[in-house]
Amino acid sequence: MNLREIIKGRRAVRDFKDKEIPKEKLMAILEAGIWAPSGSNIQPWEFILVTEKAMIEKIKLISPGLFGNPAVIIVLCINRERAKRGGKLGGITALMDISMAAQNMMLIAYSMGIGSCPIVSFSKSALKELVDIPEHVEPVLILSLGYPKFWPKPPKRRPLEEVVHVERYGRHFKG
Amino acid sequence: MKDTEDILKDDHFKLLAFLITSARGCVVEPPLYGPLRLVDAASRLIEIMRKEGRVNEQIIKLQKMIKERMDLVMYDEEMFIEFLDELSKELAKMLKSE
Ligand SMILES: Cc1cc2nc3c(=O)[nH]c(=O)nc-3n(C[C@H](O)[C@H](O)[C@H](O)COP(=O)(O)O)c2cc1C
Repeated sequence: MNLREIIKGRRAVRDFKDKEIPKEKLMAILEAGIWAPSGSNIQPWEFILVTEKAMIEKIKLISPGLFGNPAVIIVLCINRERAKRGGKLGGITALMDISMAAQNMMLIAYSMGIGSCPIVSFSKSALKELVDIPEHVEPVLILSLGYPKFWPKPPKRRPLEEVVHVERYGRHFKG
Repeated sequence: MKDTEDILKDDHFKLLAFLITSARGCVVEPPLYGPLRLVDAASRLIEIMRKEGRVNEQIIKLQKMIKERMDLVMYDEEMFIEFLDELSKELAKMLKSE
């Protein structure tokens, strides 16, 4: 698969096989996260790797938007102390940084045949309590990971002609 | 009193946790996620009723409809709302036949 195929082929997976993800693959996924760009190279992220079945079950209980039985969960958090170094914009850039790390992780996962789903529908306060996240660290995104039962059909995208503006806003791209 | 181990496996408790955390989510999530969580909860309730032998074919049909179509909320709002209408209609058919 080339990069374009990986980008276009990745899907949000919500139904997983009961199969473990080998440790080297998990390491590759986490590593892809830390190689994401970040504003001023602040790297405001903290990743919590959850592989224990019992804890995954508990996280599922407090995450209405988490579907299926993933083999692994990665909680992506912003370290607010680090993010402060980005000044007033630090909070917003940190969110961008986390998103880029998450996309890196999902793409490399897909390139290895592993499905993922980004999830914001979870209870922050409950998750903080469950996995002992300190006050200055904020969980912002969960990634569920596992081998998919099937690859979902791609949901529609807004066409380039609508999304792209050429030289001036409103001058739509004609293809 | 039950111990925590047992409670965590209890389907009623799982539904309870889902309802509580969904309530908080609904404050900030897209408005249509409220109905999504409600039908998801309905499906989970049917699952409990099924395990307890308290369902009939019509109730199973409701659950099948929910499982197959609740994802529409992410792809096609109009079809999701249509699905909610059909679900209520299906429920009414069941009430009528009783
Ligand atoms: C920031 C973000 C939050 C998301 N939160 C959830 C979620 O809570 N639950 C879920 O099932 N999907 C969630 N998704 C997945 C989207 O629904 C999915 O990416 C979108 O429908 C496009 O489908 P695709 O990823 O297969 O291309 C989220 C995606 C993003 C980018």
